[in-house]
Amino acid sequence: MAAAEAAQKIRIAMDQLKATGVRERPLVEVLDLSHQMADAMAAFFGSLDRSIIAEFKYLADFIQKARDEISGLQANDIKDTRLPGASVELDAVVRDTERATETIMTEAEKLMSVEPTDLAAYKADVDAAMMRIFEACSFQDLTGQRVTKVISTLRHIEERVTRFAGALGVTDTKQAETAEEVRARELLLSGPAMNGPSTSQDDIDALFP
Amino acid sequence: MAVDLNMPVLVVDDYQTMIRIIRNLLIQLGFKNIEDARDGRQALDKLNGGKFGLVISDWNMEPMTGYELLEQVRASDTLKSTPFIMVTAESKTENVIAAKKAGVSNYIVKPFNAETLKGKLKAVLGEF
Repeated sequence: MAAAEAAQKIRIAMDQLKATGVRERPLVEVLDLSHQMADAMAAFFGSLDRSIIAEFKYLADFIQKARDEISGLQANDIKDTRLPGASVELDAVVRDTERATETIMTEAEKLMSVEPTDLAAYKADVDAAMMRIFEACSFQDLTGQRVTKVISTLRHIEERVTRFAGALGVTDTKQAETAEEVRARELLLSGPAMNGPSTSQDDIDALFP
Repeated sequence: MAVDLNMPVLVVDDYQTMIRIIRNLLIQLGFKNIEDARDGRQALDKLNGGKFGLVISDWNMEPMTGYELLEQVRASDTLKSTPFIMVTAESKTENVIAAKKAGVSNYIVKPFNAETLKGKLKAVLGEF
């Protein structure tokens, strides 16, 4: 029985009940009406497109998976702990290298200005300056360890973001350039190249004969 | 004509360490009058306020880059003949070509050594 036909039958039966009063109808007619309603309900639910149910099921599964992946991303841990930690480490690297550079350059400048009239005193000055330069160079060990920590953090984030993007099928959309990126492009600001200069000094010299 | 080692030289870089390195190298080469600026804007102010015989400038600085400084210098009637050496980590060919077109006197890519700096100074100023 089609849903519309069943509904029409129910409507007619209801009209009859209203017109005559339910208590005057025989029990068999009420049961008959119940059967018709049951048929109508079965027809209605049976008529629903099963593909829609499948779509809802897929969506529910996808949302659950997304929730699991978002949870696995540990965004709060990244935002509250790992990135601030990496930032602190990099600040320390900058500070340590600045301090070491300052020490080394100051010692070198002192050596440049020392008058070698008294050789013994000159040697003592040079030896002392060299020791301070050696000590200052120990920054490299500390900065190396700090940078390793930062790299570890970046790898941690990279792994999670990559897994998240893969699991949810995320694709990149084209983003508008930021003002900073526009400025860098227009003013040819790209910074130092990896593994040495993009154009060697010899090739540059060839352009300035 | 011999290079006047007393002429004012302006070193422009946003890193004090680099200014210090170039300053010390110039002193080693005999230059006596070295000033510095932390970006293109500050450099332009200094250039407009005094007679400099040479500008040695980084490229990547805020708010005015070395390239913008070079353009401003070459566009100025009073400054356009000032020798201008770019010392920068920007080593792409397009950077070098852009600087050359803008009128840079020579171009040194970082990191560099004293010999390279001396060679470029000689190429721009003459023997000293």
